[in-house]
Amino acid sequence: MTSANTAVLRLQGLHKTYRLGVHIVPALQGVDLDVLPGEMLALTGPSGSGKSTILNLAGLIDQADSGQIHFAGRDVSHLDETAATLLRRDAIGFIFQSFNLVPVMTVADNVDYPLLLAGVAAPERRQRVQAVLHSVGLAEHAAHRPDALSGGQRQRVAIARALVKRPRLVIADEPTASLDSHTAEQVLDLMRERCHAEGAAFLIATHDARAVRRCDRVIALQDGRIVTTEEALPC
Amino acid sequence: MLNTRWLKFAWLNTLRNRRRSAITVTIAALGTSAILVAGGFAIYTYEGLAQSAARTTGHLIVATPAQFSQDEDTPLQHGLDDWAALKAKLLADPAVRSVLPRLEFSGLISNGEKSTVMLAVGISPDDEFAVKGPFLTVNQGDVLAGDERGAVMLGEGLARSLKATPGSSLTLLTSTTEGALNALDVTVKGVVSTGIAELDKRLVYTDVATAQRLIVSQRVSSLGVYLNRMEATPAAQARLKAALPGLEVQTWLDQAMFYRSVKGLYDRIFGALGLIIGVIVLFVVTNAMAMAIIERTREIGTLRALGTLPRQLVASFSLEGMVLGGLGAGLGALVALGVSLALLVFPVEMPPPPGRNTGYPLQIALDLPLYAGTVLAMVVLAMLASALVARRSVNQPVVDALAHV
Repeated sequence: MTSANTAVLRLQGLHKTYRLGVHIVPALQGVDLDVLPGEMLALTGPSGSGKSTILNLAGLIDQADSGQIHFAGRDVSHLDETAATLLRRDAIGFIFQSFNLVPVMTVADNVDYPLLLAGVAAPERRQRVQAVLHSVGLAEHAAHRPDALSGGQRQRVAIARALVKRPRLVIADEPTASLDSHTAEQVLDLMRERCHAEGAAFLIATHDARAVRRCDRVIALQDGRIVTTEEALPC
Repeated sequence: MLNTRWLKFAWLNTLRNRRRSAITVTIAALGTSAILVAGGFAIYTYEGLAQSAARTTGHLIVATPAQFSQDEDTPLQHGLDDWAALKAKLLADPAVRSVLPRLEFSGLISNGEKSTVMLAVGISPDDEFAVKGPFLTVNQGDVLAGDERGAVMLGEGLARSLKATPGSSLTLLTSTTEGALNALDVTVKGVVSTGIAELDKRLVYTDVATAQRLIVSQRVSSLGVYLNRMEATPAAQARLKAALPGLEVQTWLDQAMFYRSVKGLYDRIFGALGLIIGVIVLFVVTNAMAMAIIERTREIGTLRALGTLPRQLVASFSLEGMVLGGLGAGLGALVALGVSLALLVFPVEMPPPPGRNTGYPLQIALDLPLYAGTVLAMVVLAMLASALVARRSVNQPVVDALAHV
């Protein structure tokens, strides 16, 4: 299943420690992982097992102490801040537990933001924003502010924002943790549908069994190490 | 980076905490209006003093070099000979409007019972009083006429000291160019005020011919050259200097000690005021932006994760500063404009300054460069303050910013 040539993301021998006062806490202790295009991969494990650390490193918002990260075949382990930012801008989408939408922007502006950053021309931006909002069922809410939406709708806006730039990889940190059960199911179904439709890989840190069930592969972590890897049964 | 979308975000961000933004805008507006009102007052004062100085001496003063640099042992020792020919030569310059002779001398003035020191000026009356305009107030009687001989105008304090009124007979006593004493009976034509109390206690105006008769000379001390435009002064000075070898040509500014003293003092006072206001505005904007940025640390982390470069965020926060500073500066400019116009409609008289015996209207000059410069400075200051505060926050690790509670 894993192949260096086809993996969107390849993590090799990643180590990461955090300093808590005088204590050095190991967060990752030699993690190897490949994420394939169009794959929805769940990271599970107890708090402190290293899920968020893997997401941070995979999303290029943090740096490993050692090990290598390849993104679409390119070694990005030691990218400088600007290069990492530009790669995130162009190829990595983020979905946060608390949605993290910009409250003063409308739904359309929030979704448009990554395209604006990337310098996409206005007519194309309009068309892509409209299309992605339609795909997440929020076309009629384009002019609304996030505070006028429900939690589920906000997370769908966040999904649209992550997908509008057609990323190779989407990082999702506990995307259903702030949602009620019914809404969480809807959001997960949407993510799965979009994952397969867009061909983007989804790397999801979650405690949610429903999320785990919808993923193609499940990686269980403990104490910064991968303890099991399971191929999920077809839904 | 700068397009209407970013400007719109900046505007919307300033509306997040309306009270805080309103306070920031108000303080920027107060600062701007204070600078514009104080600066406008200073400019009005400078213009008034410059006009007064130029009308007193002429835009340019032509005399022998010794007249400007040395004291005279006898009256008109360093005076100008054949000044009528020189006057004709000066009038040939296209920038010159008129040329007025001046004969300065000192001596005693007496009413028969009391004698006192006088500082007299022989003038060409018709032209002289025409150019003096509002800078000479005739309190009693009338101004001298061109063809009138043996008449004088007295400063207000001198007339009071000698109990002289129009029609009174007085005697002028001074040294001639030969060093002998000479006296001449004159009639008071009018009483004037220059606005400077000390000068009015000694001032005597008479016509050049009468003064020459008293001193027994055909010379004058200097020629005052009046130009069509004040701004033409430096160019005309250079031209006339080249055309008049052996003579010295000074500008009104060289002679205007009072103007230079006041300008030097006001420049320092208002400069310090502007600096203090600038620092206050800088601190207020810095404080407002610091609070806004701390509140939005997590959002900064999100935007960084989405691919926003630190410099793009700094620029975005600078735009917020620009919105706040621009609104404040615009509002402040409107307030200053309103105050200036209100003072034209409802005049306020200022008390006489030290050494003067007349007050003056409080007016605020509407100076476009001052307005443009102040508004621009406020906007730049606000942008700079925002950028400085934002720089540190946008460069913190994205993970730390996202974890901010």
